[in-house]
Amino acid sequence: MEYYLDSLSLLILISSFVLVANKRINSYIKTFRLQSFLLVILAGVIGVEKFLTEGALDIIVVCVIILALKVIYIPRLLKNTVNKVEYKVEKDFFLNIPIGVLICCALVMLVYYSISSVVPMNSGHSQVYLVNSISVVLIGLFFMISRKKAIGQIIGFLVLENGLFTTAMLTANGMPVIIELGMFIDLLTAVMIMGVLVFKINENFESIDINKLRNLRG
Amino acid sequence: MDVAWSNNLIYLMLAFYVLSAVIALVLSSKQRAGNVVSQVLSSVAALVGIISSIMHILHGPETVQVFSLTTAIPYISLYAVIDRLSSFFILTLSILAFCVSIYSIGYTSHYYGKRNVGLFNCLYNLFILTMVFVFMSGNTIFFLISWELMSLTSYFLVIFEAEQVQNQRAGLIYLIMTHIGTAFLFIAFMLLYKFTGSFGMDVDTQEIAAVIRNIIFVLFFVGFGTKAGMIPLHVWLPYAHPAAPSNVSALMSGIMIKTAIYGLLRFGMFVLGPESAWWGLMILSTGTVSTVLGVAYALMEHNIKRLLAYHSIENIGIIMIGLGISFIAYAASNMVLCSLALMAALFHLLNHTLFKGALFLTAGSVQFATHTKDIEELGGLMKRMPYTGIFVLVASLSISAIPPFNGFVSEWMTYQSLIMNIGASSFGLKIISILSAAALAMAGAMAAACFVKLIGISFLGLPRSENALQAKEVPFVMNAGVGLLVLLCTVFGVFPFLIIQLLEKVNAGLFGGAVGGHLQGGIVFVWYPLVVSNYSISPLAVLVVGILVFAVIAVVVRYLSRAAKERVYGTWDCGFDGLNSRTQYSATGFSKPFRIIWRFIYRPTRELRVEKGLSAYYPKSLRYVVSTESMIEKYFYSPAADMFTRFARRTRLFVQTGSVHTYLIYLFVAILVLFVYNSLTFL
Repeated sequence: MEYYLDSLSLLILISSFVLVANKRINSYIKTFRLQSFLLVILAGVIGVEKFLTEGALDIIVVCVIILALKVIYIPRLLKNTVNKVEYKVEKDFFLNIPIGVLICCALVMLVYYSISSVVPMNSGHSQVYLVNSISVVLIGLFFMISRKKAIGQIIGFLVLENGLFTTAMLTANGMPVIIELGMFIDLLTAVMIMGVLVFKINENFESIDINKLRNLRG
Repeated sequence: MDVAWSNNLIYLMLAFYVLSAVIALVLSSKQRAGNVVSQVLSSVAALVGIISSIMHILHGPETVQVFSLTTAIPYISLYAVIDRLSSFFILTLSILAFCVSIYSIGYTSHYYGKRNVGLFNCLYNLFILTMVFVFMSGNTIFFLISWELMSLTSYFLVIFEAEQVQNQRAGLIYLIMTHIGTAFLFIAFMLLYKFTGSFGMDVDTQEIAAVIRNIIFVLFFVGFGTKAGMIPLHVWLPYAHPAAPSNVSALMSGIMIKTAIYGLLRFGMFVLGPESAWWGLMILSTGTVSTVLGVAYALMEHNIKRLLAYHSIENIGIIMIGLGISFIAYAASNMVLCSLALMAALFHLLNHTLFKGALFLTAGSVQFATHTKDIEELGGLMKRMPYTGIFVLVASLSISAIPPFNGFVSEWMTYQSLIMNIGASSFGLKIISILSAAALAMAGAMAAACFVKLIGISFLGLPRSENALQAKEVPFVMNAGVGLLVLLCTVFGVFPFLIIQLLEKVNAGLFGGAVGGHLQGGIVFVWYPLVVSNYSISPLAVLVVGILVFAVIAVVVRYLSRAAKERVYGTWDCGFDGLNSRTQYSATGFSKPFRIIWRFIYRPTRELRVEKGLSAYYPKSLRYVVSTESMIEKYFYSPAADMFTRFARRTRLFVQTGSVHTYLIYLFVAILVLFVYNSLTFL
């Protein structure tokens, strides 16, 4: 059981590296879908285990919701958005891909270094889980910084959220189901609003490069 | 006195204030009824407060536990405790609140139909209530919470007439200054907690290292000094007091700035306990400077309320002189002098509450009747508003420390403690005490001059404007409120033993020892203070002798001039036809000698514009503008504010670039720094 979880958390981490290495917007969405699918498997494994030991169905419910939301609905929404606004292909990143990947490696090392000093968490499986999942959070944030176009920010945000979810799932067997549901609704609304905003930005600036949005200052 | 019963009275007082605040809001649609009910309720609350605090001082136990609330949140628990010192402050507050509430029944009527009277009365009651909480707080958490609530409610009252730009500005300055003060207090309380491990007010601080104690005291001094309005932290006071409605300025000047004295006393003397003389010396010298500069600036003001506000600075200075001597004597373990000086300070505090309350209320009456605060537009009010005129006169005599009124007694005691301190201390302190006594004497004379100006210009002579001409006496309730304060000024001036007895109890509770034995005399003829007979004086004797002398002179004059004839005729006007209000002495003219002598402080600038007529001797129009500037504001506050704004503007452009990526990088870097910090601390 722990070995499945170990490898799944590692796969999720690797999928975020893959995301950083992606060049095209369409591949961002594909990678995000892949990562979400790994998340579904993770939740499924934990959920089945919990069902077998305690007879509780809540994590399986959460797993189904993730499947519907993060694997099917949100990627489709984003794909539609991209198809409507993205008519030219141009360079989307500030740093080139190898440097980005190297920075992400450094981030993982930093997290490992930092987690190893937290006393009850610095050994065994929980250390692996924590390092992998918190690294996913940081990589998501880094991805948001390194991409110019608004879709990059949305995907980065979603990956960040995936990282948080993985952390909760692996260290505490998930949060109470009501909180999970609230978070999903939050996420859904956020993505929908961001999708609409992308249209608006494109309308006004003829591009979704948020580097051009510099009027917002105090 | 049963403990439970005196507790019940305190609960009753708190309940009445709350009830009054609630009723004010409930009845806010019926303005007249709501106002009357709410103000009557708050005056009842104040009356209960007066009774309960006098009872407690005279017969009550050392401390009374009022309530204690422990919450589930760590560290947040509220204890309300009353000891005799708190009771004395609550008594002071309640006397003032009683009179002001009666006055407000009439005064607030000019808001009917114009403003939300219900909201005003609600804030007014909450303001009084939070001040009561400040005086009764038993731990520093409760103290800070009440302190902050007091500042906020008073801020809302200051900006109650918020549509005027100068009121908004006054409120802003007040808010900034009071929060700077609170920040200092916050640091001081945190340090106290850090080194004693408790938020209580009865902690043992003797274990704390001397350096830390000194730092904590300086923090308290700056923090409370800001609220007290001592120079150079007084900058908010001359703005906030005139901006607030008059009943609120009476409360703010009468008692709110005294909460700072309470804090200084409570935390400086009883929690920390002065060990070296320089604490007291710092209070003493700041007090002296505030006394002289406060009255000096007051002389230049022609706005009644600003003038009174500067006098508050002066009187806080006088209180701080007494307090400083008390601290010095405490450090030297000279408990008699310590007790005497503290008594002088507390007595002056009560007196200032009475006469400054009365003066601010009469300023409100004048504004109520004439719609102006400018002295230069008044004149001849003594005939039109006789009661108000008499009240101003008595209150002015009190504040100018003229016997037989109350200001005299407390200033006399302050002099006595200064003089005793000359004898008791080392060479440097001797000189400082002599200088302080001299400064106090000079300030007294200047205060008298200032009130001669106030009364002479605005109450005597001919009216200088249509408003002053049309002025009518204010309603009875307003005069009743002021009259009571003025009456108390006279009573406490002639029979100071009434208050001395109370203060005696307060001091005895605090120091164990008492000075009562040194204060001779009974109720009727009282000599103040101490056995040093050369310095003793009896206010009642002075009054009796004064009346006798006056009667003798009157009889003699009448006898000598029995042959003279009387005729009623206009003043000789040098052949012009008829004197009018333009030919009178103006307030600007009256204060001219002071402007010349004190040029180095005022930095006066004047501007004379003459429009020439046919001859140089008959100009068409003359325009004369004289202005003074505040050096502290010009050379300290303005540059500091400018620097701050410039810095803020530059960093804003630098930090807020408008780029989303930069903002994300801030987040990212913050998280990384936290990770690094986490791994470093556990290494």
